[in-house]
Amino acid sequence: MQVLKVSLTKNRNISVMENNTFTLTKKLITICVAMIAVGIIAIAIGFATGVSGTRIVANLHLNNYYFVGMGLIGLFFVAVHAIAESGWQVSMQRIGEAMSVFIPVGGLLMLLVFLFGGMHALFEWTHEDHLDAILLKKVAFLNQPFFYIRFVVYFSGWILLAHLIRKTSRKLDLNGDVHYFNQLRKFSAIYVVFLAITSSTSAWDWLMSIDAHWFSTLYGWYVLSSMLVSGFSMIVIILFILKRMGYMSHVNNEHIHDMGKYMFGLSIFWAYLWFSQYMLIWYANIPEETIYFYERIKYFDTVFYLNLILNFAIPFLLLMARNSKRVFWILIPVAVVIFIGHWLDLYQLIMPGVVGQAEAGIGIVEIGTTIGYLGLFMLVVFYGLTKSSLVPKNHPFYKESLEYHTNY
Amino acid sequence: MNKYITAYYTDENDLIKGVKQIREKGHNILDVFTPFPVHGLDVALGMRRSRLTRVAFGGGAVGAIVGFGFQAWVFTKAYPLNFGGKPYLSVPSFIPVTFELAVLLAAFSMVIAFFIHFKLGPGAKTVVYDERCTDDRFLVLIDAENAEADEVKKIEKALSDAGAEGITYKE
Amino acid sequence: MYVSPIREPLIRGEKTYSQVTKDILAPMAGKPSKFWYMGITLAGIALLFGAWATYQTVYYGIGTWGLNKTVGWGWGITNFVWWVGIGHAGTFISAILLLFRQKWRTSINRSAEAMTLIAIACAGFFPLIHMGRLLLGFFIFPYPNTRALWVNFNSPLLWDVFAISTYFAVSLVFWYVGLVPDLGTVRDKAKGKIRKAIYGFLSFGWTGSAKHWSRHETISLILAGLAAPLVLSVHTIVSFDFATSVIPGWHTTIFPPYFVSGAVFSGFAMVLTLLIVARKALNLEEYITVNHIESMNKVIILTGSIVGIAYITEFFIAWYSGVEYEQYAFINRATGPYAWAYWIMMTCNVVTPQLFWFKKIRTSLVATFIISIFVNIGMWFERFVIVVTSLHRDFLPSSWTMYKPSLVEVGLYVGTFGLFFTLFLLFIRVFPVIAIAEVKSVLKSSGENQKHAHHE
Repeated sequence: MQVLKVSLTKNRNISVMENNTFTLTKKLITICVAMIAVGIIAIAIGFATGVSGTRIVANLHLNNYYFVGMGLIGLFFVAVHAIAESGWQVSMQRIGEAMSVFIPVGGLLMLLVFLFGGMHALFEWTHEDHLDAILLKKVAFLNQPFFYIRFVVYFSGWILLAHLIRKTSRKLDLNGDVHYFNQLRKFSAIYVVFLAITSSTSAWDWLMSIDAHWFSTLYGWYVLSSMLVSGFSMIVIILFILKRMGYMSHVNNEHIHDMGKYMFGLSIFWAYLWFSQYMLIWYANIPEETIYFYERIKYFDTVFYLNLILNFAIPFLLLMARNSKRVFWILIPVAVVIFIGHWLDLYQLIMPGVVGQAEAGIGIVEIGTTIGYLGLFMLVVFYGLTKSSLVPKNHPFYKESLEYHTNY
Repeated sequence: MNKYITAYYTDENDLIKGVKQIREKGHNILDVFTPFPVHGLDVALGMRRSRLTRVAFGGGAVGAIVGFGFQAWVFTKAYPLNFGGKPYLSVPSFIPVTFELAVLLAAFSMVIAFFIHFKLGPGAKTVVYDERCTDDRFLVLIDAENAEADEVKKIEKALSDAGAEGITYKE
Repeated sequence: MYVSPIREPLIRGEKTYSQVTKDILAPMAGKPSKFWYMGITLAGIALLFGAWATYQTVYYGIGTWGLNKTVGWGWGITNFVWWVGIGHAGTFISAILLLFRQKWRTSINRSAEAMTLIAIACAGFFPLIHMGRLLLGFFIFPYPNTRALWVNFNSPLLWDVFAISTYFAVSLVFWYVGLVPDLGTVRDKAKGKIRKAIYGFLSFGWTGSAKHWSRHETISLILAGLAAPLVLSVHTIVSFDFATSVIPGWHTTIFPPYFVSGAVFSGFAMVLTLLIVARKALNLEEYITVNHIESMNKVIILTGSIVGIAYITEFFIAWYSGVEYEQYAFINRATGPYAWAYWIMMTCNVVTPQLFWFKKIRTSLVATFIISIFVNIGMWFERFVIVVTSLHRDFLPSSWTMYKPSLVEVGLYVGTFGLFFTLFLLFIRVFPVIAIAEVKSVLKSSGENQKHAHHE
């Protein structure tokens, strides 16, 4: 241990000539608030032009889920690398921590949507007076009190663990004590296990129960894989923004390359799960299962095929070459495509069940709400970034991360 | 090649430094023999990036196209059969075989290209300059085919300046 | 490359490069030990039992097995899936851990990959013998024939043919490409003339040229990139054999990733079982250290937990579906006549690996060895539960029946163990069990002597 202290103090002496503390400038706040305003105005226009309330609620639900997922994956990025004892990601782990600040905000919005009319609009199983024979069998799970209990369990677990991980990480930054590092790993392990379970169950609650008659065992993992790709792409986008603002100069091409590999690999993984679920249902051809894809292929065909092109074909082909994973001018467009693609993926999970083909569409309301949420998300992330130094200097693997170089 | 100079290092970091130094002096290193892949040596020797990845991509593309095309041909042209009421061109069930053939051809084309390019293979005849190159020595080989006596001296001087051991000139 | 001082060294005992060569080549030299002879004798006996069972099956047909009209797949398919699953650990270690830059893989990848190849050979035997008429086995390949008929590309069983043969071929290439430089080392260290000639032939003329190394690294990396999705695809396609059907308990969409996870889970257990013995017997304790064992145990917790979550998910969704057949299939598993198999599976796969959360247990060799065997047993029962309990009571109660293996089926299973251990014991005599060059390449950053240098 003695030896360790010495080398850690050595780490502290590496002076990185850059601005380590993020300042939330007026300009940034203005941009984010303007984006939020766009969202509110879009919803207002929606109401004014006679877009149905159901469609607006479905949109809010979609974005709540999407951005809460981003926060969860931001934290997952920190946690999974902490338990794997990996070193390279340390240079950018603050981004993941900052993303997790959005979890309570998203949770609150989600709760508001549920409390004020969302439940009835979104979930057929809440129409307690006209449940059919199949839905009656599911009442033990699909009932409002239990639904809210689960909601509270998920969010209190996530928020608590996010808080503990961020706090421990900050403490670790103050003096580099290995004790805090071990504590960080412990909380991370708990979070990863908790997320492994709750990501599936929450996907059943908030997404799969929209089509309450339908079921698929893979569903939770499929949604998790979608969350993983979009979350990791979001980290790359935020990294890019920070770099443009003159921060994070210690993050070099090697780190970016690794993020590119994640985007590439996870896109393939997502496609693998998509194919597994689709092919098995298509092959077995059992009517109560195939109805789900039948609806989507027949009435939402553009979104259905676009989903595969944006989320598999484009990342796969564009990121295959080594060099394209190392440069922002390819990585950022692909990250944006993935961002849009997985938004569409959620769209085709939610809309056919909630809104139906007659009313659904992608118009001012959809685009506007998403811009609004993006603004809010960014504002929260920027706020989270101001909380601690951008450079986790005293992390035991910080120096490894700086000197990190890979051939592949 | 009849005339050459060899010298060795026992540490890979010294090797990289030495190689850079020797090349800076303008001597052309023919090859370096090491017991394991030394990180950064390809850069120090000025090698370009491998193009074997393109061979793999080509092989994979051919595998995918042939795999899918063949299945499509069998079920739409050669011998259309109805299986479980599925369409003849049932794309989802062609994916697994297409994928497997793509991987198979990508892997084999690349590995075969590698062995053919370097003329390696079962029983291939190659020159082993120092048997300890596969154990613990990092051997530098410099061509001295057309070198005059003073040129040889110069190379030997450069090698010893660069910290190499066991400098030998063979005719 | 800089390595943080809080990381434990991977290779113990302040090794030099030539010491590494010597240590790893040592088990190949001299006469085999007593234990080796004992092992190969036992394996030979098992192999003979298998040969008898094969003869019975081929001569009399699969009527000698315990299968019946309702349960058409029994031990044969259970063993097939089990062996393929075991193979997955080798590829996981050599390909996926390479992509994730896990340096600890260098000490175990060679033997794990050898295990993979042998396990696939054992697995491939079962579908072939299941045909009864081994000599017509080539029918499964699409080749031009006088009937102008091609194979059925819509069948998951055919996808298996392609998946397993591609997997074997690519694994073999990957393994051999990695072996070539080490065979060069064996050649250069060989004493006898014949030995030198044989290894000279096998080493493909490897010299250690920097050009060769550079490209060798490239192809290893691309092969890893290809093998990673390949290994996922193999057990995925094996799971399709079940999941494309409409049998309750078989048709479930979670099967592909859950089978893959279970495969890696059982494979790592087998690697642990083998290596805990081998590291001791071959004096390689400084290369395969407790840290390596601990890392593998962590993979076991991860994959075991994924499998556990999948079991519970399946059970829950069966209830949630509201389909009575689905619900019955799962209730029958847990409480029906084969409930004992189900509870063995649950205990071995879900409960025992969770013990590895305790550092004391996951760093204990004895505990690890015992748990690894539990996992092997549990994973065999998982396949048994899936295959047999789903089949023996399906839609038509009048067809309900029980299944019991015959001695011939037991003989075939024991026979593959014989094959497995015979080939593995031969492997450790003929090839270096640890990737010499790869260990050397991490010695600087992760060897014990270098650690000391950093500290001072």
